[in-house]
Amino acid sequence: MTLLRSEHLCKTYPNGTQALNQINFSVEEGEFLVVIGLSGSGKSTLLRCINQLHPVSSGAIHFEQQRLDQLQGRALRQQRSRIGMIFQQFNLIPRKSVLTNVLAGALASTPIWKSLLGLYSKEQREQALAYLRIVGLEHKAYVRADNLSGGQQQRVAIARALMQNPKILLADEPVASLDPSTSHSVMKYLQKINRELGVTVICNLHFLSLVRTYASRVLALKDGKIVYQGAPEDIDEQWFTTIYGEEAVEVSIN
Amino acid sequence: MENTMITKQPLAEAMPVKRYQASIKAWCMDVLLWSYSFLVLYKLGYQSWWLDLRHVDFFWSEPLYSLLVGGLVASVLSYTKASVGKACYGLIAFDEGRSLFRTASVRLGLLFLLLTFIAGLQISQVSMREFFSDSGLAGAQRIFTALLNPNFAIFEDALFAAVETVYMAFIATALAIPVAFVLAFFAARNLMKNSALSFAIYAVLRFLMNLTRSIEPLVWAIIFSVWVGIGPFSGMLALFLHSVASLTKLYSEQIEAIQDGPVEAMTATGAHPIQVIWYGVVPQVVLPYLSYTIYRWDINVRMATVIGLVGGGGIGTMLMQYQGLARWNDVGMLVIVIAAIVWLMDYASAKIRAHLK
Ligand SMILES: Nc1ncnc2c1ncn2[C@@H]1O[C@H](COP(=O)(O)OP(=O)(O)O)[C@@H](O)[C@H]1O
Ligand SMILES: [Mg+2]
Repeated sequence: MTLLRSEHLCKTYPNGTQALNQINFSVEEGEFLVVIGLSGSGKSTLLRCINQLHPVSSGAIHFEQQRLDQLQGRALRQQRSRIGMIFQQFNLIPRKSVLTNVLAGALASTPIWKSLLGLYSKEQREQALAYLRIVGLEHKAYVRADNLSGGQQQRVAIARALMQNPKILLADEPVASLDPSTSHSVMKYLQKINRELGVTVICNLHFLSLVRTYASRVLALKDGKIVYQGAPEDIDEQWFTTIYGEEAVEVSIN
Repeated sequence: MENTMITKQPLAEAMPVKRYQASIKAWCMDVLLWSYSFLVLYKLGYQSWWLDLRHVDFFWSEPLYSLLVGGLVASVLSYTKASVGKACYGLIAFDEGRSLFRTASVRLGLLFLLLTFIAGLQISQVSMREFFSDSGLAGAQRIFTALLNPNFAIFEDALFAAVETVYMAFIATALAIPVAFVLAFFAARNLMKNSALSFAIYAVLRFLMNLTRSIEPLVWAIIFSVWVGIGPFSGMLALFLHSVASLTKLYSEQIEAIQDGPVEAMTATGAHPIQVIWYGVVPQVVLPYLSYTIYRWDINVRMATVIGLVGGGGIGTMLMQYQGLARWNDVGMLVIVIAAIVWLMDYASAKIRAHLK
């Protein structure tokens, strides 16, 4: 079943940069879609247009039965809460415990006054601990999040996204700040929640070897346009030069 | 437009419009500098010093004539390199090898500075003769002897007045915190730039806060002492208002310096804007806030003393009363108590702030 569909999506920033140009694609439920492209090709912009962190300039984003680009206020927040997101810089709340960070994923379903006082229900706490167990960090629940290593912080961010009970997870270069072996460990967790929890994933990646290992489908951007859509195995030398340019050497990672 | 004194390349022919604008600005600057100099030379150099007039009348024609003369000189010099304005606006190429002090425009600038310095001495009536005159030294001896022989009989009164001052400063700070905390979010550019309405609120708030801050607490205390009467309450109100303005500015600058990452992440979870601020912004600013607030309390204690001088209550008011009665031994006691408090506050606030790092 089609979960997400982008139609003629265009995004021009207020300073005049056209970051996305006529983007058409759809995502089926359960997919692990990887978006590749050079830095500046519009990958981050695409993910932020999906959950409306950036308003789109024209075109439509369909998510299940909703037009996300037309939602506002409460309705938008409600749909956003069903779309998890993780970031290259993890974006955890500094000075707060790991558990508090994970519980922040439940903000949309918690009354404002309760969340200001930190009054989460017992079920929410247990849920948070359960998600921490999934990413293997239950023992770190009461440690300050900014004291963790990069890989651990990203796993906390994954747990926080899971706390939203999302249909889909957007990952913006989730391993770009991590070393190779940590990268694989984080990607494995994403794969696990994709396969075991059935969460659809859209993930921006830089390295082609990771793409071949984890992607069920690939979408390549260049200068804000889609230049390739298809199976990861089908990206050959020629496609590679189209996407990354003549001088590119296949960047690998093990 | 960069106002650098040392520009390697003059704003060359590449940008004729910019160059044209810069020339006009430079000329205006020269005119002002020269007319100012002529006015100072005429009033202070000729009338006050050369003619040694006790009382110098002022006519509005004088600055006008100065402007005329200044305009003339500036216009003539604008064809040469001896122009401070042209140097400031980068219209003169500086010779790399040559010392800056050998450049005509720099020398001229220093000359203007020297003129201002001398005029300042004259206006502040700096006179070494009075400083070391017999009656002057006798006066100094009298007050220092009295200050060094403080009247311990008023120690208790001084202490109570000092307690009043410290509490006044504390309450002013404490009441200012929640107000500034809320206002700071509306005065932070990064949170308010998104819509025209919020940006308007931001601009108005910023303006009001700058206005409030630019009026010294001393002046506010005078206003409030008429409004609510002389006493600690008027002093407290003055400090409160000034603290709100200062803390709002400092707090909002902290908010502007935060990382957007956590804010973006909280927004992406579907959180309400209030939740986004509470979870994405507040944890990033609490420590600097605390540090600033304690520093503010420290400042407020000092200011409370000064404010007392105009009727804001506390030890300052007491100081003013004894000073008016020329009871220098009592003043000596008060000075000691004030110094002790200021030192104590300074020490305590530095200690606490060091621990907050
Ligand atoms: N907030 C912004 N304002 C203006 N231009 C932006 C902004 N964010 C990104 N861009 C521009 O949009 C283009 C796409 O950027 P981005 O989506 O970050 O690419 P990627 O994630 O693939 O590196 C780039 O040219 C970038 O400079
Ligand atoms: Mg990016």
